[in-house]
Amino acid sequence: MKPVASGERSILSPDERKQKKWSMERKKARWGWIFVTPALLFFAVFSFYPIFNAFYMSLTKKNLLSLKPPELIWFKNYAYLFKSPDFWNSMKATGLFTLGTFFLLVVFSLTLGALIITRKRCKRLLQMVFYSPALLSSVVAALIWLLIFDPRGLANQFLNFLAQTPGTDHNWLASANMLRLSTIIVYFWKYIGYFTIIFVAGMGSIPKSIHEAAEIDGASRWQDFWLIVLPLIKPTTLLVSVMALIQCLKTFSTQYLFTTSGAPTKPINVITLNIYNTAIRDHNIGRASAMSVILFLIMIVLSWMQFKVSKEDTVTYM
Amino acid sequence: MSKDHQVRGVWDKLVNVFLWTFALLVLIPLLFMFTASTMPATEIMKMPYPWISKTFEWQNYWFGLCGADGSFLFIRNIFNSLLVATTVSITTVLLSALTGYGLAKFNFKGRNVVFLLMMATMMIPFEVIMIPLYMVTMNLGLQNTYLGLILPFLTTAFGVFMMRQSLLTFPDEILDAARIDGGGEIWIFSRIVLPNCGPAITTLAILTFRSQWDSLLWPLLVVQTEEMKTIPQYITKYMAETHTDEGIMMAIAVIASIPMFILFFTMSKYFISSNLYSSVKG
Repeated sequence: MKPVASGERSILSPDERKQKKWSMERKKARWGWIFVTPALLFFAVFSFYPIFNAFYMSLTKKNLLSLKPPELIWFKNYAYLFKSPDFWNSMKATGLFTLGTFFLLVVFSLTLGALIITRKRCKRLLQMVFYSPALLSSVVAALIWLLIFDPRGLANQFLNFLAQTPGTDHNWLASANMLRLSTIIVYFWKYIGYFTIIFVAGMGSIPKSIHEAAEIDGASRWQDFWLIVLPLIKPTTLLVSVMALIQCLKTFSTQYLFTTSGAPTKPINVITLNIYNTAIRDHNIGRASAMSVILFLIMIVLSWMQFKVSKEDTVTYM
Repeated sequence: MSKDHQVRGVWDKLVNVFLWTFALLVLIPLLFMFTASTMPATEIMKMPYPWISKTFEWQNYWFGLCGADGSFLFIRNIFNSLLVATTVSITTVLLSALTGYGLAKFNFKGRNVVFLLMMATMMIPFEVIMIPLYMVTMNLGLQNTYLGLILPFLTTAFGVFMMRQSLLTFPDEILDAARIDGGGEIWIFSRIVLPNCGPAITTLAILTFRSQWDSLLWPLLVVQTEEMKTIPQYITKYMAETHTDEGIMMAIAVIASIPMFILFFTMSKYFISSNLYSSVKG
């Protein structure tokens, strides 16, 4: 191949060569477009159109089953929602769930990651064990925990053993706050390994030489963690916290399965569950869309705030 | 110095105890699922829970597969889940690789705009657009079809991003050499680029399969008949309708998890390695 290429080169004058290169670039540009067009069309139909449509639908009144075109009522859906106790209850349910799960996830995955990375043996095994619940689908996870939270189940047995209160029923699936706690536990259990792995990878990418230099300077492990690891994994922490936050705000399956199997709806009527019920059970597409838009705005604002907070005093090592 | 070492030794032991206790706590629900799946219901609800049972009820699995009415609907629903998750994984990998390749290795006007537009869709959660999507699907007449289950998930912005990142470092010399040899662009993509990004493809395929296997909300919207339901829907319906035997319930849970366990134990390095992390971080 080589001789042909070099022979070709020697025949062409510099001008011709330039032109040839230019036409090759143009050909490449065309192929670039050909490669990205299918996905671009896909995103246009299945992402951009729906998001604009969601905004538009939120300003209309539309019944899911009727063939009548949507009727424009502007902000009446939003006005209704802001006065609706049901909506505020959903906001509260989502808020409490997110707050609890988010902090537990971030604090524990950071701690577990920091501890695992200092182990010499079984690093991988520990990560595999922590990750294993993430293999189950949310529905299966909820199914297992429903049996554990049963009045005769493991949760009561375990808590009674710890608190030395034999025979007490802690109403895991009946009292409002315990029910909220139950959903938080299920979610925490399912996702803790996933975020721990991300932290382990992030901490693993800190060059060994930095730790060694700190040790020579007399830093304790405690100082090493607070003064070296924590500042250097800031990007990872940001990534994990944005992912965990959005994940928590979107929670659906656990609450759905708990409510369909008889738990009271009100304490865990999170916003996605409310959207689903408003659209599918009440056929009220406009109102459901308005809730979707509010959820979207909350996610955008919260992620933006996290970026903003973490942007200040960024540390780099190179 | 020796005292310092002693402190470290004690600390190390404490950390080990903490980590392994936590690991045990995490494993308990899984152990519960496996042990309960071979027990009669009366044993499962005994207090305290008998971790090792004297009677092995292998029939739980048989009854789980039969279903409450002996219709074997569960098997059909397992097939549906496998079909949808596999198809979506394949299309996601192919389309993401194609797009990622176009974005990473070709210079064209508007490339950055295209890339930014695609990345912007990462900020749109599925839960927010599911109602408009549902109405699109209804208008196309795709409710209650496999196509309806698959179409909205053909590719993801995350997949495109991941493939682009891993292809950025692909050597241009190889591509140019192939072009000079007279290889067409499609041939280069399918014969040179695709076979050379195995790890990224595997990771993406596994992530996609996992999220589809877990998916409940979309099937709840699109599917109406029993035959078209997926596993999460089957379990939900089973829970709501029949107050059945807890042992059978756990057998169903185990069956529903088998594909993920197989993937995990054969390809654990793609779950645990920093692959995922580095692709996210870029």
